[in-house]
Amino acid sequence: MAVGLVEASNAPLLARPFYAEGDPGPIVAALAHVPELLEATMPFIAVALGPSAISWRIKEIVILRASAQLECRYCVQSHTPVALDAGLSRDEVIALRGSALADTVFTDTAEVALIHWVDEVATGRGAVSESLRDALREHYEDPEVVELTVLVGATMMLNRFCTALELPTSPEALVRLADEGLG
Amino acid sequence: MSSVAEAVNEGTLPGRVWFYSNYNCNLACNYCLTESAPRVARRELGTQRMVEMAHEAKELGFTGLGVTGGEPFLRLDLPELLAELASILPVVVLTNATLFTPIKLERLSPLAGAPVQLQISLDRPDPIVNDEMRGPGNFAKVVEAIPRLIDRGITVRIATTVEDISDEDLSRLCALHRDLGVSDDDHIMRPVVRRGRAIEYGMGVDVGAPDLPAELTITADGAFWSPFGPTVRAGLLDTDLLITRTTSPLRTPAAALLRLVEGRPPGDDTQLNIR
Repeated sequence: MAVGLVEASNAPLLARPFYAEGDPGPIVAALAHVPELLEATMPFIAVALGPSAISWRIKEIVILRASAQLECRYCVQSHTPVALDAGLSRDEVIALRGSALADTVFTDTAEVALIHWVDEVATGRGAVSESLRDALREHYEDPEVVELTVLVGATMMLNRFCTALELPTSPEALVRLADEGLG
Repeated sequence: MSSVAEAVNEGTLPGRVWFYSNYNCNLACNYCLTESAPRVARRELGTQRMVEMAHEAKELGFTGLGVTGGEPFLRLDLPELLAELASILPVVVLTNATLFTPIKLERLSPLAGAPVQLQISLDRPDPIVNDEMRGPGNFAKVVEAIPRLIDRGITVRIATTVEDISDEDLSRLCALHRDLGVSDDDHIMRPVVRRGRAIEYGMGVDVGAPDLPAELTITADGAFWSPFGPTVRAGLLDTDLLITRTTSPLRTPAAALLRLVEGRPPGDDTQLNIR
């Protein structure tokens, strides 16, 4: 790890609520070094990545795909079990992680358009191409596009944070990955 | 009236803002909260920054300033800095009073008659026991310095930090401070707090935020709850009483502290007399 993780006994006053239910995980334990960042970041992440008007399945497609594109080991390992729990199949997860062609595994045209759009937003430079934008707009309304864009951006922020700080994947996630043969 | 001023008036927020001017010290007391010693990193607050914060503190509605360390008088600019701070708000500065050579005493002239109190540590009426905790020669220097400071028109109060003290020793200590020219009103007693080096020596009482006055305390590392907050253990800063890393503008940590003290009744922190 590039930084230490703040333990509950040394958690700053404004960070303590995040430790109230036990180990808060390495993202919180790293952010706790700067409690004002923790206080602002976690509610944002909760809204951006948590339950919302967009389905859990769609959100996990975006999170896992962006994380795979940015090669965030922590986020890919942590969100693979979540994606399975959200209803994605093992083959879909493998495709999102880049080990298979998404176009051949996903059959829903809205999801295929979304995956191509995420790839472009996460790895491209400059504007998203007109064709990918229009393909996405065939399936998603303005509020959904805004939310999906924030979701990709928030995921990328976490991707770089977790990668730069070399945060450790939880033992529970690693066990689940091994059980699913997705380690 | 600002929310800070309202809280100070209501007694829910202490009026004093503390500055950790530096962490280094010429002594290495065995109950030191910050593991201060001659060769530790100074981690100074900038002179200009302290003056700016004093102005901000006054504008926000705070009513006093405290300066502590480390030993603040290791900073060569301290007398002039204290005089400038005292022109903004009354100041109390914590010192071991062992650096007041005739030349240094001469440099304290800007403090004569100013609203600056020097709070000097004196723990026992005898040099042997006192110096066991605070270092050789400490007692003699303090006893010599106090009357000279008072003669120069500088207000002195004495802080006694003790694990336990017999009635007889306390009585002799009080007689001593009166002889030195310090009244009973200017003598405070407080327990050793089990933080910093006191842990290593197995001394002191355990405290948490509820036991400590919520005095906003600014260091080079951030803003803390109480000057007993930014302690150091095994060379690492304790962050359990950290409020925020952001200290500028001062209203940011002040607002965060206000959120934390919300609903705390006035005087709720007085049980252990850690002041």
